[in-house]
Amino acid sequence: MSSDWLTRSNVVIVAGKGGVGSSTLAAAHALAAAREGADVLFIAVDGRPGMGALLGGREITDRSQVLQRNVASKGSGTISARTIPADQAFGDYLELKGVGGILRRAASAASLPMIAAATPGLEHLLVLGKIKELELEGAADLIIVDAPPAGHAAPFLRSASGLSEVVKSGPVLDQASEVSEMLADSARCMALLVALPEETPITEAIELAAELGDEIGLGLLPLIVNACWPDRAGLAKTPAVAARSHKIKLSAEAKSALESAAAFGRSRLEQQRYQIERLRTERPEPVITLPRLATPQIGPAELSVLADALVEADPS
Amino acid sequence: MTSLSHAITEAKLLLTCGPGGVGKTTTAAALGVAAARAGRKTVVVTVDPARRLADALGLGDEAATDEPHLVVGVTNCSKDGELWALMLDAEQTFDRLVRDQSPTKKQADAVLNNPVYQAISGSLSGAQEYMAIERLHQLHSSGEWDLIIVDTPPSRHAIDLLEAPDRLVGFLGHPVYRALTVGQRAFARVTDAAASMFLWAVKRLAGPQIVEDTVNFFRSLANIEGGLRKRANEVSALLRDDDTCFVVVSSPRAEAVGEAQHLLDALQAKNFPFGGLVVNLIHPLPEALAPADAALLAELEDGPLAEHVAWHKELTTLAAAERVELISLEVLAGDAPIIELPLLDHDIHDVPGLIDLSARLV
Repeated sequence: MSSDWLTRSNVVIVAGKGGVGSSTLAAAHALAAAREGADVLFIAVDGRPGMGALLGGREITDRSQVLQRNVASKGSGTISARTIPADQAFGDYLELKGVGGILRRAASAASLPMIAAATPGLEHLLVLGKIKELELEGAADLIIVDAPPAGHAAPFLRSASGLSEVVKSGPVLDQASEVSEMLADSARCMALLVALPEETPITEAIELAAELGDEIGLGLLPLIVNACWPDRAGLAKTPAVAARSHKIKLSAEAKSALESAAAFGRSRLEQQRYQIERLRTERPEPVITLPRLATPQIGPAELSVLADALVEADPS
Repeated sequence: MTSLSHAITEAKLLLTCGPGGVGKTTTAAALGVAAARAGRKTVVVTVDPARRLADALGLGDEAATDEPHLVVGVTNCSKDGELWALMLDAEQTFDRLVRDQSPTKKQADAVLNNPVYQAISGSLSGAQEYMAIERLHQLHSSGEWDLIIVDTPPSRHAIDLLEAPDRLVGFLGHPVYRALTVGQRAFARVTDAAASMFLWAVKRLAGPQIVEDTVNFFRSLANIEGGLRKRANEVSALLRDDDTCFVVVSSPRAEAVGEAQHLLDALQAKNFPFGGLVVNLIHPLPEALAPADAALLAELEDGPLAEHVAWHKELTTLAAAERVELISLEVLAGDAPIIELPLLDHDIHDVPGLIDLSARLV
């Protein structure tokens, strides 16, 4: 059993369409890698509330802070987290280019929306550029990026190549090429795509994999199918028949109660098997299935279960 | 109330909004079906439908974007209305807006041919949201439609959509923008400090060519500014009209409920008319096991019946937890109708499926 894939690249960008649990998966990946002894920096691009608590610490802010220490049984395993607001990335970037303090503050406060309007994708590029800087300076063993949700992951990652079409010279172009370089080098950066075992999410995952992997050229980690029901072959039998192999006789009420759950379960499991198979057929990457947790709210306890499942997963 | 029939028979504009992955587009299409079958000429404006649903709506790969297509098979008697579907194209809508608002064709072309404009019209952050609203306004003023349904772009901050017109006005009022567009002064004579700093920053960051394009873009935009501003104010008023209605779509998962709550608060805070709540993807609650049966089945050895019992327990736990979330959504909905829809075995991607769903909504 190998969990090497968790830390195969310096940066992992976690992406998925809305509602598939990609933020949760990003947090689970961070926890899993920390348990394997890595020092992890979790970057919430969107700054969604509640992620800091999920990772056992305070709310995530624009300053890197440690959420958990000594997560690993051996080695250290620290989880830190931060957001990267575009205006801060802009300020940092100006600083990097040796622009003076007052001018920098004025330029970043007054003009970011205007400059962003004039240079499309600039905000995304600034955020990616900041991630690239953190990667280059070795801020952590592993940087996990919780990418923007819904339809926004691809434009986010395309910002580097898109900008070089409009911007023909200057530091923005340099920044764009450096970000493109990082995205194309799978030792430095890979993407983790998340789906659900249902028709539309699987279709969208196949499309997203084609877009990020085949078009943008990102290396893809195993594809994650989240929230899978455990495969219970016994449901194929009626409760009455199933009871016979246990030498138990069920009351009519018990049969009816169990069957009311089983009818739904059979069709869900059939759909799930079919959709996972479809993903395997359409994509060359290995697939990891993660269990569905019987709660509508994911807290630290549930995250721990998911992290264990990632460590123990056997991508196939 | 457990029906959205009032909304689909009375409203002139209906917007569905909510978190991603909860079946918003399908709900919008089904509401369209219901309205058409209630005799209204209806158009559903959507952004990014899943492929098979798009095919069912006549919006497949071959179909032109940005124009309405008649959806066949929705209506079956002469009293019925019609259902049309339209796939939004942010760039084309932006182009049309510029043409409509420019006093002359030459001025329109100046904007349309500017490289900065060409780059931003498709990708400017918030452009899609704004264009969804803009297209709605165009359809509304055409007077051709009894009901326009807009499936809002998926967005964690769905409220961006509603603020888009105000943001545009804010942009046009920005001191840098004002300084750059006052009169037709040459670039060298831009004296305003913030504006010079802006140009300097753009130049340092992205090179001199883009500075020139940017200044030209802002100046050409100045010709149509009055129109844009007026339009933004009209859209802002339209969204708050008595004939407008927002339907929030959610699922019973805690994360989605949190976003729905945020959205409902924002609708209320900004005086947008809230028309109802649809809670989709609800797991069925199995019949409960009688205590005696539960005791009998509590400690089984591994085998098919144990799997049945484990499954029954898991599904019951999940479904019960969802019912708790549902109660909090019912409180949020207040007096407005709330419709609860089960998780279906298969996704809806044909017209008969939409017709079934529409019957559950109204």
